[in-house]
Amino acid sequence: MDVLMPQLGETVAEGTVANWHKKVGDAVAVDEILFDVETDKVSMEVPSLAAGVITKILVPAGTTVEVGTVVAVIESGAAASAQPPAQAAAPAPSPAPARQAAPATPSATAEAPPPGWYAAMPPSMSGAAEQYTPRAASASAPAKAETAHSAPPIQRGEMRLSPAVRRLVAEYRVDLAAVSGSGRNGRITRRNVVDFIEAMKSRPAPAAADSAPRASAPPAAPPHQSAPAARAPSSAPAHAPAAPSGGVLPFTRIRKLTAEHMVRSKATSPHVLQAVEVDFFRVDQVRKSVRDAFKAKHGHSLTYLPFIAHAVCEALQDFPNLNSSVHGDSLVLHEHVNLAIAVDLGAEGLVAPVIRQAEKLSVAQLAGAINDVSSRARNGRLKPDDFANGTYTLSNSGTFGTLITAPVINQPQVAILSIDGVRKKPVVIETSEGDAIAIRPVGILAQSFDHRAVDGAYSAAFLDRVRKLLENGHWLVEA
Amino acid sequence: MAQLTYRDAVAAGMAQEMRRDKNVVFLGEDVAAAGGVFKTTVGLLDEFGPSRVRDTPISEQAILGAAMGAAMTGLRPIAEIMFSDFFAVCWDIVVNEIAKARYMTDGQVTLPLVIKSGNGGGARFGAQHSQSVENWAMAVPGLKIVAPAFPADVKGLMAAAIRDNDPVLFFEQKSLYATKGEVPDGEHYVPLGKANVVREGSDVTIVALALMVPRALKAADILKEQHGIDATVIDLRSLVPLDTQTILREVAKTGRLVTVEENPRLCGWGAEISSIVAEELFWDLDGPIVRITTPHVPLAAANNLEDEQLPNADKIVAGVRRLVD
Amino acid sequence: MTPVAAARSPQSSINPETRLKLYRTMQECRMLEKRAYDLFMQNLIKGTSHLALGQEAVAAGFGTAMQPGDYTFCTYRGHNHTLVRGVTMTQILGELMGNSSGLMRGKGGSMHLTSVKHNMLGSYAIIGAHLTIANGAAWSAQYRGTDQVAVCFFGDGTTNIGAFHEALNFAVIWKLPIVFVCENNLYMEYTSIHDVTAVEHPAADRASAYGLEPVLIDGNDVDVVYRTALRALDLARKGGGPSLIEAETYRHGGHSRADPGKYRPDEEVKEWLNKDPLPRYRNRLLQMGIGEAELQGIDDETKAAVDEATETAKNAPPPPLELANKDVWADGGSAWRN
Repeated sequence: MDVLMPQLGETVAEGTVANWHKKVGDAVAVDEILFDVETDKVSMEVPSLAAGVITKILVPAGTTVEVGTVVAVIESGAAASAQPPAQAAAPAPSPAPARQAAPATPSATAEAPPPGWYAAMPPSMSGAAEQYTPRAASASAPAKAETAHSAPPIQRGEMRLSPAVRRLVAEYRVDLAAVSGSGRNGRITRRNVVDFIEAMKSRPAPAAADSAPRASAPPAAPPHQSAPAARAPSSAPAHAPAAPSGGVLPFTRIRKLTAEHMVRSKATSPHVLQAVEVDFFRVDQVRKSVRDAFKAKHGHSLTYLPFIAHAVCEALQDFPNLNSSVHGDSLVLHEHVNLAIAVDLGAEGLVAPVIRQAEKLSVAQLAGAINDVSSRARNGRLKPDDFANGTYTLSNSGTFGTLITAPVINQPQVAILSIDGVRKKPVVIETSEGDAIAIRPVGILAQSFDHRAVDGAYSAAFLDRVRKLLENGHWLVEA
Repeated sequence: MAQLTYRDAVAAGMAQEMRRDKNVVFLGEDVAAAGGVFKTTVGLLDEFGPSRVRDTPISEQAILGAAMGAAMTGLRPIAEIMFSDFFAVCWDIVVNEIAKARYMTDGQVTLPLVIKSGNGGGARFGAQHSQSVENWAMAVPGLKIVAPAFPADVKGLMAAAIRDNDPVLFFEQKSLYATKGEVPDGEHYVPLGKANVVREGSDVTIVALALMVPRALKAADILKEQHGIDATVIDLRSLVPLDTQTILREVAKTGRLVTVEENPRLCGWGAEISSIVAEELFWDLDGPIVRITTPHVPLAAANNLEDEQLPNADKIVAGVRRLVD
Repeated sequence: MTPVAAARSPQSSINPETRLKLYRTMQECRMLEKRAYDLFMQNLIKGTSHLALGQEAVAAGFGTAMQPGDYTFCTYRGHNHTLVRGVTMTQILGELMGNSSGLMRGKGGSMHLTSVKHNMLGSYAIIGAHLTIANGAAWSAQYRGTDQVAVCFFGDGTTNIGAFHEALNFAVIWKLPIVFVCENNLYMEYTSIHDVTAVEHPAADRASAYGLEPVLIDGNDVDVVYRTALRALDLARKGGGPSLIEAETYRHGGHSRADPGKYRPDEEVKEWLNKDPLPRYRNRLLQMGIGEAELQGIDDETKAAVDEATETAKNAPPPPLELANKDVWADGGSAWRN
């Protein structure tokens, strides 16, 4: 097929091929970037619309041609279009945000969005306008948990957001991924956004007298994903049903509240991400040793999570500033660690029920508490008390084997810890006979902390303590 | 109501004011006995006599200087510059004297004068008798500028210009002289500085002046009937004072602005409006601002060449369609 | 080309009171202008300043002959023409110094001195333009049926610009009550007027082209100027139409303050300094029997007035900043949009 200089904008008639990412003879997959184009307005990457082999490059780099000119030729091979690589096509700018720790607001009666502050923010300053969500990232995720998200091909025209569109998106917190564009090349026009907002306003809100989330339909996937041993299973999400392509998904109440909380949290706390890599060897040893007995006795598996929770609670005793809240110019230290556990309810959003006074619990007790709140969350049987007074949050992102996540702080806390995938990796261990390579279960613990409350050294020291507790702890777990 | 031609509305407006105020006097080349080369002042000599309606030699500087001196000393003169291209011959009097006198004298001097002139093309007069020069005047502080499109506004704005205590340049579009329109009976007055929304739409706001207004309206009909695009058309009428509020209000509704200007491209009046809208309405724009203008060349004499140069309904339609998706 | 007949000075006698007035007026012009020179040297007057030192007789002669209702139009070399219409010295010096005591509070500057209430309708900096504007004032008087006359002063260089010719022709065909006065100081800026003019007498030799009587006078003899002015004003007042008068004179300094005037031959300068209107008239008055003490008294009073005006003007505050954007329009503002 012919590769054309794409339509670059209504008043732009030509573009310059800035450089080629491929050469003649190279194979190219759908959505792989072929070349960069520059106009006097914009510079962008042009992906391939077909898979195959590049047989001709007709316009060398540095040349300016009219829109529509054939710049290269791809011969499609017998192979079907290649499976798009998991995240290559989606221009996701940062690790997937916002799957963490967004509870309904703690107080049962707080349904309204936060008062006025957002309206006072000028659109140009609003982060939401810049948080353009590529269409790939949310609504059209397939139901299966194991498959990576596949991104639909991005049409160049869709990326073009006029000032009016940006402002409306910021003011009304519109998820652009849910808006379809009827403009040229699929451009989202101001009319599209206005219509979307009008449609949203006229849609009745899902009934929710209190903030306890109620599943309107049984989750699409079984609540307990049986995950491989290397993964902490406790928050396996049930995915939302796939939306019809090009459709519009008005926010549910939970989605709306989650969105509001996320934005508010980011605007309130200057987030800093810090991570440590933890060798779960010892934890694994303990887990293995009691696995069957534990499961038999308690009815659920002993995962990494209770160990981590225990280490965190212990470390917080020595780093109490991370178990606090900012009030004006002061840091209010909390007496207890009320540990919130983020649970992804899929269609129902994220909730983070609280285990009160978690510092008093053993690993086994923590495991039980975690299991309790998670299953009650999935069954919609959490009570308002379950959400109250959390002081620190754990977010288990590791189900899909992610490397690291930068979670959003659960206000009014000042820190949150993400637990990502644990997988076997070669690590260097120091033995009395010198250094050696061992295969160990390794995972990253990543903390987002509020830089108003603490500085990097404090947070780093805390993480180091957590790591050491996990790596060197002497666990005694009764089966 | 009466049907008047654009040219008759000029005389009607002047006569209305000359009846009202004895201090209104009029001078120009061939304006009295001949009623003006474009017949815009027929009947004035008969009604008001040779001391109030005076023919002059071909002396643009002397004509405008006389108007200024008379305005300084109690009269309300109207001076005619036959073709607006000729402003270049007497531009010194306009921009260095008339426009600056009040300011330089710390407000001692008041200049309640009107300069009327045949502006613009479409009449095959060739480059030195066809240019639209309203943008020249807009660039000079101290001058008010009007350019009506329809006979009712011709009469009403003429009245306002004469009653205004500042210098007003009254641009008549030569190709519009023969057009007809409804003009209210009795005293008619249209204030300076007020644009007129002549067509309401929802997809794009077209701002036009003088000859470009009827062409924009024709384009709006085509856009609606053939392309489903619903255009607002604003007849600007007044460049200075500029009715910025109407422009902003209407562009905010549609999110799109197109100006249609007969003046040559560079530094045309639409550039200033584009700048204002881009600055003050940036977050309401759903697409780039487009200016449709005569290209930056002198106007040709041949029918087809001049028609090719001046913006017409088809060009306006094409320009809007490129913008509106 | 036939030589132009120089106008004979009418022999009507001028009463002593008027003569003293003429003397005083010239002295005021001289001393004020000299003070302007000094203030410029002291850097209290900025920008540029065009001094008419040596040309006092024209201003004084006409200023005394004109009636209060008559209009003055002059060029940027207009301090004298402004003073003779009754504007105070303080206001003139204040305008030159650019402060709030100025005639236009610093808005216009030296080249644009205007006092509408004195019918001093302005000093103009673009050569020739004000002749056409003066026509308008004359037309207005004619239309309103008053006996006002417009008097328009300009230099020899003006006679070669288009507006001069348009204005003359226009004034004649409309028979306007206007007197055009060319102060021929022999130099158009830095160039001898003879080098750039097709005729010998730049204004008088053009008069016949417009059907006007050629009038060429000694511009440094204030009596001659005075009588010539009365005659022309009288003609205009009676509906006799315009006059064009060429008054030969000389400026003591350069074209402007920046110009030391070194392009003029020394003998020429010396010759004209000998015809300095002030000492010349002083002598004439003494010969007529007017006492030295009286003349000295005028000199002293004038000096005191100039000194007082200088002090007042010097101590005035700068113009208020909000003046910068005021008075473009009749409503006092400068707004071009809503």
